[in-house]
Amino acid sequence: MPRVPSASIMRPMDTLARIKALASQEFTLDAQALDPAAPLDKLGIDSLSFIEFMFKVEEEFGVSVSDEDLKGIKTLSDLERHVAAALAACGRA
Amino acid sequence: MADRRVAVTGAGIVSPIGNTLEDFQRSLCDARPGIRRLPGEIAQRTGVQVAATVEWNPMSVLKENEAAGVDRATQFALGAASQALAASGLDTGASPERIGVYWGTGLGGANTQEAAYRQVYGADEWRLRPLTVVMAMSNAAGSNVAVRHKLRGPFANFATACSSSAMALGEAMRTIQAGRADAMVAGGSEALLTPVMLLAWQALRTLAPADATDPAASCKPFDKRRGGLVLGEGAAAFVLEDESRARARRAPILALLSGYGNSCDALHMSRPDRDGQVRAMREALAESSVSPGDIGYINAHGTATTVGDLVEAEAINAVFGELAAHIPASSTKSLHGHLLGGAGALEFAAALLPILRGWLPPTAWLEEPDPACMLRHVPRRAERVNPPRAVMSNSFAFGGSNVVLVAERA
Repeated sequence: MPRVPSASIMRPMDTLARIKALASQEFTLDAQALDPAAPLDKLGIDSLSFIEFMFKVEEEFGVSVSDEDLKGIKTLSDLERHVAAALAACGRA
Repeated sequence: MADRRVAVTGAGIVSPIGNTLEDFQRSLCDARPGIRRLPGEIAQRTGVQVAATVEWNPMSVLKENEAAGVDRATQFALGAASQALAASGLDTGASPERIGVYWGTGLGGANTQEAAYRQVYGADEWRLRPLTVVMAMSNAAGSNVAVRHKLRGPFANFATACSSSAMALGEAMRTIQAGRADAMVAGGSEALLTPVMLLAWQALRTLAPADATDPAASCKPFDKRRGGLVLGEGAAAFVLEDESRARARRAPILALLSGYGNSCDALHMSRPDRDGQVRAMREALAESSVSPGDIGYINAHGTATTVGDLVEAEAINAVFGELAAHIPASSTKSLHGHLLGGAGALEFAAALLPILRGWLPPTAWLEEPDPACMLRHVPRRAERVNPPRAVMSNSFAFGGSNVVLVAERA
């Protein structure tokens, strides 16, 4: 079945805010207090949890982040840049 | 008899008839059944009409986001293990390298596996969540118990079908006896009441149909009317400790686990063998410090299959001789169903009831005992008894694995 972006991505919303909201839900963290520049492990997000989180981020935005790019993601800001680039590449930025 | 004796200092239960040791044992005393009708569509499409299901709120032991990341069998394991550790009062932080986890399960994360297959083959969605492997693997439950409580000693996962968790207990006992650990969390869990697994069991033609008048009474071990087993789900966990250490810290000692027999029929995948069962019972008795006459209760494997109950009754008679007519024996599967990989541990908890409370748990619904199953039954209702010196619990599995545990009054 083709992967279809959820309806929410069709609205102009702040990508980082949506990532923070997802992270907040996934890891029971306070979205307002989330520091996007903080290393993921400092947020209590370990490597396995992050892989699972990425799965949900990809579903939410309808994009795919390569394994190679994944290795470079150390913060939520890094993640936001990759998602934004992926959205731009398919003309949905 | 080993120099180092092993005390049972805590127990935890998640079962179709209660989610604490106290509730479980009370249900046994009251013969309160956990077998229920399955929902209409599942029953209609699989042909399986009844099962023993757990009323379970995963948020009792996990946060919502955590619960979504572990299989139902692991959720049960975490619930039971947390109860057992809390009851024992064991300080797990003092020397975590000396506390291990041995766990038993038949299939591990069956719900996770089935969800993945359904998504790929059923919905044609060829993309699985990344946690699928670590949720489905058979050691997931035991490993999550170790992670949750930071237990860094010996670890093993036993997957020998219906003897899995009894084997976990027996091997944990030997690990403590050998001085390789001071304490062990041992038990087992199972959660495989999924459509495919129900169908698979139905295909084996070993499942009981629903009783025409009372679905809760569908499992009738040792009865002439028995029609097969009823699948169940749940978990049981125990804290086992070096007795001298347990006494030194004034731990509550429920019983001593003193005998463990382990044999393989090596004959057939599903047909039970009397001699294999006899060898396991004799080994467990020989390893403990009790004589056959000290055994005051036998929790039989008693699945309610025609052949299984008959062979087990013959084996008990072969081991105990004339004593068999006087040693109360029952199958509590009549109430909680067959927990498969979790059965041995749950039924060990049932076997402790006479020692702890002076009650013999019954074989519910036993109204027409099969004369070919010559045992001193505990029919229908629990019986009051003076706490016996020792009890026995039998677990006989597909694949020919036989495990027998003997526990003594502390």
